[in-house]
Amino acid sequence: MIEIDPRLLLAKLAFGPTARDLEEITRAGTDRWVDEQLRPTDDDCAARIASARWRLKYRVPNPAFSGAAPHAAPQFLEVDEDRPIAVAGPIEEQWRVVADNRPGPERTFFRQAVSVATLLRAVHSRWRLRELLVDFWHNHFNVNAVGDALVAVSLPSYDRDVIRTHALGNFRAFLEAVAGSAAMQVYLNNRSSRGGAANENYGRELFELHTMGRPAYLNALYSRWRDVPGAAQGKPQGYIDQDVYEAARAFTGWTIEDGSGLGGGRKLPITGKPTYVEMWHDNYQKRVLATEFDPYQPAMADGRKVLDLVADHPATARYVCGKLCKRLVSDNPTPGLVEATGKIWTEHRRKPRQIAEVVAAIVRSEEFRRSRGAKVKRPLELVASFARATGIALSVTPGLLNELDASGQRLFGWGPPTGHPDDAAYWLSSHAVHRRWSLLLGLADNAWATGLPGIAETVAAEPTAGRAMITAHQALFGSGPDQPTASAVLGGMGLNPTDGFARRKDASALSRRLLAYCGMLPSFQTR
Amino acid sequence: MITRRDFIAAASALAFTPNVKAFAATGPGAAPGPFLVSIFLRGGMDALALIAPIDDRDYIAARAVELRLLGDGDRPALRLEGGPKGHDFRIHAEAAPLLDLYRSHRLAFVHAAGIVNGTRSHFGAQELAERGLTNPEESSRIQGGWMARWLAAAGAAERPAFAATSSVPEALNAHLDTICAPDVRFGLGLPGGKQAFDVLTRVYHEGRGPIQQAGLRALDGIELIDGRLRQADGKVPPYVPAQGASYEETEIGRSLQSVARVVRMDLGIRAFAIDMGGWDTHENQPGRFAALIGQLARGLTAFHLDLRDRLQHMVVVVMTEFGRRLRSNKSNGTDHGHGGVMLVSAPKIAGGRVHGSWPGLHAAALDNGVDLAVTTDLRNVLAELMVGPLATPAARASVFPQLQSRPVGLLKEA
Repeated sequence: MIEIDPRLLLAKLAFGPTARDLEEITRAGTDRWVDEQLRPTDDDCAARIASARWRLKYRVPNPAFSGAAPHAAPQFLEVDEDRPIAVAGPIEEQWRVVADNRPGPERTFFRQAVSVATLLRAVHSRWRLRELLVDFWHNHFNVNAVGDALVAVSLPSYDRDVIRTHALGNFRAFLEAVAGSAAMQVYLNNRSSRGGAANENYGRELFELHTMGRPAYLNALYSRWRDVPGAAQGKPQGYIDQDVYEAARAFTGWTIEDGSGLGGGRKLPITGKPTYVEMWHDNYQKRVLATEFDPYQPAMADGRKVLDLVADHPATARYVCGKLCKRLVSDNPTPGLVEATGKIWTEHRRKPRQIAEVVAAIVRSEEFRRSRGAKVKRPLELVASFARATGIALSVTPGLLNELDASGQRLFGWGPPTGHPDDAAYWLSSHAVHRRWSLLLGLADNAWATGLPGIAETVAAEPTAGRAMITAHQALFGSGPDQPTASAVLGGMGLNPTDGFARRKDASALSRRLLAYCGMLPSFQTR
Repeated sequence: MITRRDFIAAASALAFTPNVKAFAATGPGAAPGPFLVSIFLRGGMDALALIAPIDDRDYIAARAVELRLLGDGDRPALRLEGGPKGHDFRIHAEAAPLLDLYRSHRLAFVHAAGIVNGTRSHFGAQELAERGLTNPEESSRIQGGWMARWLAAAGAAERPAFAATSSVPEALNAHLDTICAPDVRFGLGLPGGKQAFDVLTRVYHEGRGPIQQAGLRALDGIELIDGRLRQADGKVPPYVPAQGASYEETEIGRSLQSVARVVRMDLGIRAFAIDMGGWDTHENQPGRFAALIGQLARGLTAFHLDLRDRLQHMVVVVMTEFGRRLRSNKSNGTDHGHGGVMLVSAPKIAGGRVHGSWPGLHAAALDNGVDLAVTTDLRNVLAELMVGPLATPAARASVFPQLQSRPVGLLKEA
């Protein structure tokens, strides 16, 4: 097996290299490193996450306050504490805040908790390829925890039980976990969908975004199911609106335990757990992708059959593999790579490690090997790679999360179901670039109490400005700067390479700026 | 012909030497010309919840009572003169603030308007609308977004456009330089101040490759706009709208305020873009829709009041990717449809009317048997604006080369 450049691997798949990683890869060999990364064994950040805290402070009117003596209930509910962000336990434990009607900040806290854990793992976990894929799937199966507090409450379970459990696993199993999850049921409104006038939202996005993809939407060409090429043989090449309508009908009855009324005074419990209500299901015969569904099928059988059909469809292999290649390799992966990857996807479609096998194939491709710098880093990647290179332990504070939101990467808070864009053009708008620069300057300067860059002391101790520049550049790039770059940065700072550095009173501040400016160089924007 | 860098440099110079005469007839600081403000309502705005024939039998049958406009009750829909004949067309009560503009003939609606392609995909429909295409197959032959092509045809290819969004809208795709800034209240400066600006200018000076280009654009935006926002003490003063207008703290309020502020800088920017999200009301539509329409109506009213001294040059168009299903669903919402409604505000148009050819809501008239049809291609609305108030009649052929031109009736008879 041909060795891949270790720096390339770490830059593209692991949020950037540190000296220790390079040692580890060189020892193991890149091939074995890839294999190990695809078989993560533990949650190695558990201790770090267990000790992380979030300052939760709120004061809201107490709905139980009656104003009448003897004032049993306080007028305000007030909390000011450093709450642990580690969320354990099944979803019904998080949903207690819903069942007990706790205040809004108790619900939105869960989004922050998962965001903090995500950032800590991106910087510190040994299994950063898994983290990269978890980020991919959170965007592929996007939910918006900012738009709806119930999605926030459901987010820890979604992250742990749905996304992380299946990120390297089997896609068909993944689809079913997503379809039943509280986060997706709330976000795409399936829990309120009823036989007779089903809500199309989930059905449409299932086809358009989760599986077959927009290229397979043939509505402009065909308005009758039997006209779609291949339909007569039961293998239509794509889908049309009628498939969306029928899929929506198939998923009626799939819901969650959210306290909804069942008639006759009965109600579902309030736990967030997936459930099925037969009474809400459209039982009659259906036709999805030219396949007949008989009426009166067992519970959830219709929905599962839809998932079988879309998971197995060749368009799904093309679409999802295309997105994976785009995430891992470049904005425009060749059709050859996508097709070759699609073959692996299809071969392993009943296997438990289907996605891991697909990722391995992409990483071992010639195209991947030659794709250095082909992807623009999204803000999460920029923050993680900068923190790793400069030795910021990273306390994730509200200041940092706000800044990340403002940069365009709203962790678990992206509105449309498409998830964050994966195109260079989006992340290089003048606004996006401006925000990246602000993000790096703030991180380097510890503006949001995220921690000082460990390497800054070493930079500050260099005898001359020129040497300080070299040390800073080396931390981020593994080598010194070329002449034009060194002149540009030092010149802009009003420094000559031979100027004294360590003895200056402002050496610390200047060294942090040097690190920030190196982070703002064009080549640090890509991986 | 001035290059983009000349434009920026001259504009920046003007920031410090306000008495310098305009350096070119069409440069910054020169006599103002027509400018375009395009507002895209993302998600598919339900046209039939905004303006509808409340006495139409099919409308009444298809929509749950909370999801249709009513003539009575505690918030009845408002009468709308100038609507299609034969039915009682009314407008959502929350749109009341727009009626002054409507009745003074500044504002017009175009109903049953939209893209001709029948896609019900948000992203497909938005792309076709913003790129001005008939079908996706045209995308390799016709480059970029419709606003980018219009700017080129209008001789403004070298000037920046401004988008109060965080990324360049598809309508401005391929335009050379779009400054994106959702909010200018805190300026467009860098935390590192002058030192950061100096370093970046040196690092990004060459402009080769997409990252370098992106860096240069960001620096341009900072130079052009931030300099004009800051006072001598480095602070950005709060914006004081004219005429006592007041913008709400909502996405649309902030965006309109940002655009108004940049308009007032008189930089010669000809195109402005705004996004407003939240319109994809599959569930619990009544309250959400009412809130959004109210925000939009009040925002547009404040915008017109604030820029009252420039109304003779300002053309505003509001559009969406599609309308929504005639029949409501059981989640108290509506699903994706086809025909939508556009708003147009411009000088010298036939305002105070609902334009377009009303197709009716009986089954045979519906697209796919379920949705309000499209009888006016939205590009024909935009084309009429180019011929009329935007004063670029020759642009139509290059902006919409495949368009079968049909008059909409927005331009007043002479």
